[in-house]
Amino acid sequence: MPSASEPTTAPATTSPATAPPTGAGTTRRRTADRVVQVVAVVLLAAAVLAFPSLAPNPYILSAGVVVLNYAVLSTSWSFVGGFTGYISLGHGALAGLGGYGTALLVTKAGLPSFVALAVAALLVAALAVPIGFAALRVRGASFVIVSIALVLILLLVFQSWASLTGGSRGLVVPRPFPDLLRPEHHRVFYYLFAGLLALALLAWWMIDRSRFGLGLKAIREDEDKAEALGTPTFAYKLVVFVVSAAFTALGGGLYALWFGDLDPVFQFSILTGSYLVLMALLGGVRNLFGPLVGALVVGIGLEYFKVEFGDTQLHLVATGLLLALVVLFMPDGVLPAIGSLLGRMRPAQNSIREVTAAELRDQRVAAAGAPAAREPVDAVASTAGERAQSTEERA
Amino acid sequence: MASEIELVDIQAGYGRAAPVLRGLTVSVPAGQIVCLVGPNGAGKSTVLKVASGLLKPRSGKILVGGVDVTGQGPQRMLASGVAHVLQGHSVFREMTVAENVLLGGYTLKDKALIAERTAFVKEVFPVVAQRWNSLAGLLSGGQQKQVEFARSLMVNPKVVLLDEPSMGLDPKATTTVFEQVVRMRDAGTAVLLVEQNARRALETADLGCVLDLGRVHISGPAPQLLADPQLGELYLGGRPAEPTAIPKR
Repeated sequence: MPSASEPTTAPATTSPATAPPTGAGTTRRRTADRVVQVVAVVLLAAAVLAFPSLAPNPYILSAGVVVLNYAVLSTSWSFVGGFTGYISLGHGALAGLGGYGTALLVTKAGLPSFVALAVAALLVAALAVPIGFAALRVRGASFVIVSIALVLILLLVFQSWASLTGGSRGLVVPRPFPDLLRPEHHRVFYYLFAGLLALALLAWWMIDRSRFGLGLKAIREDEDKAEALGTPTFAYKLVVFVVSAAFTALGGGLYALWFGDLDPVFQFSILTGSYLVLMALLGGVRNLFGPLVGALVVGIGLEYFKVEFGDTQLHLVATGLLLALVVLFMPDGVLPAIGSLLGRMRPAQNSIREVTAAELRDQRVAAAGAPAAREPVDAVASTAGERAQSTEERA
Repeated sequence: MASEIELVDIQAGYGRAAPVLRGLTVSVPAGQIVCLVGPNGAGKSTVLKVASGLLKPRSGKILVGGVDVTGQGPQRMLASGVAHVLQGHSVFREMTVAENVLLGGYTLKDKALIAERTAFVKEVFPVVAQRWNSLAGLLSGGQQKQVEFARSLMVNPKVVLLDEPSMGLDPKATTTVFEQVVRMRDAGTAVLLVEQNARRALETADLGCVLDLGRVHISGPAPQLLADPQLGELYLGGRPAEPTAIPKR
């Protein structure tokens, strides 16, 4: 019977001699990474803020608003899709609810535009509780199907309920700044969308660093294991779904105020949801700026193809081609691909084995003050020799 | 000696199928490693599932530290002090070792306690401290197992249930893993161990139980079982003519 006095319980070789240099190198590399990241974020923010001044004409500016709208929606989507790995194709519908909610609160209830926007987002968040409660019970493909069903149901409701929503004739939303000329209108909304995007990114970043975020990522990795470790998985999924819905509704509502005209076919379209997923996947779904970068690529691509090919379905073909190329060459998304490209330019990182067998033997000799019984190969195998001996004695 | 966990006369099975455990009784004394061995299908893993609350027994009682916890779910069992390390590799591969370990202490709210437990598991498992910021999926099989051990110790459990910790490991890594099991015990945690690698497991354990057809057929001090000629026969899949009467402790 083994007892505490056996040498097997002696501390294993922690190889403190090798740890400090590795640690210092890693720290330096991490600091460098941090600097690069901060510079990149500052440049990106500067580019986004400078864009309205640089845009040559109001059309380009309005395209910028569309792209930022996509960035907001895609980032909102990634609260669910990025953290928990639940792929929702129904977020277009949540944006549509936000849009119609805002529009109806302005036209029917007479609320001021931005009060209506906030109230609509709260209402959609409240509605997301029962929706999430039902949808988040299923995982994987089933969840995707349920989220599509949400879009189709809402499309039918909003088309048929013409007395309230205007049905297929559409719903005109009064402009919040009636005396602004069109270019100024675009400029103001551009900055409003940029502000909302900053807010969504900030929330994402805070969740990413939190205990809550840790639990969500564990759900993405393996929900059953996460649950077994004591993470309240269902509550977490529901909370993050509601947060995601609120941001999505804000994006949809702001779009309604900007665009001024809503049609159920476009507001409750599976295509919108698919674009959001495409953008997030393309940019890098686990990355804070992934959805934004994806929105820049896909949003600009969509607008360009629409101009180039006119009002045909060819822009969809072109977008599909874009997706195929990304999946082929950057399956993890653009940002991770850039990251690994940068990583390749660095000196090779140390491999799994940090010490050689000879070094380890020397360490053990130094530690034990006696020659090692056997030549260890693995850094973790410490007292294999003694262990084998002692068990032989016992048997 | 006080038992950390006691399964008394457990009947358990899956769905409507015939029971897997038929009146099994096992107890794990404080500070001891108890090893369950037996042929495939004897119900070894099922014992652990019942003990950790993943499977509710049809009848029988589960006592943790003398308190009846029969019928509680996995989270409650964890809170009562029973941690389960699953079969195979169960680290979160795309998360860092640090995140994996911290998830183990997810039910802890007190930050000072979390820091204390983190320091403790880093000390018990040096590999965990060394590879703290690596992605867990990049570690070798034996190292991943130690991360799982560290994760399970975060909540300072009374007893850790280990399901085939040596599965898929080479002999050297197996040795390391068994050493870490001993370290866990010496750090004050009782261990209920299930192993295919019966000889190695019994060499490590304090007590052994041989399972067959859902019952404990032989139990006793592990060295005594190792010397038992019938063990070989049992482990090869045969069954003894009658339950052997090595007296229980």
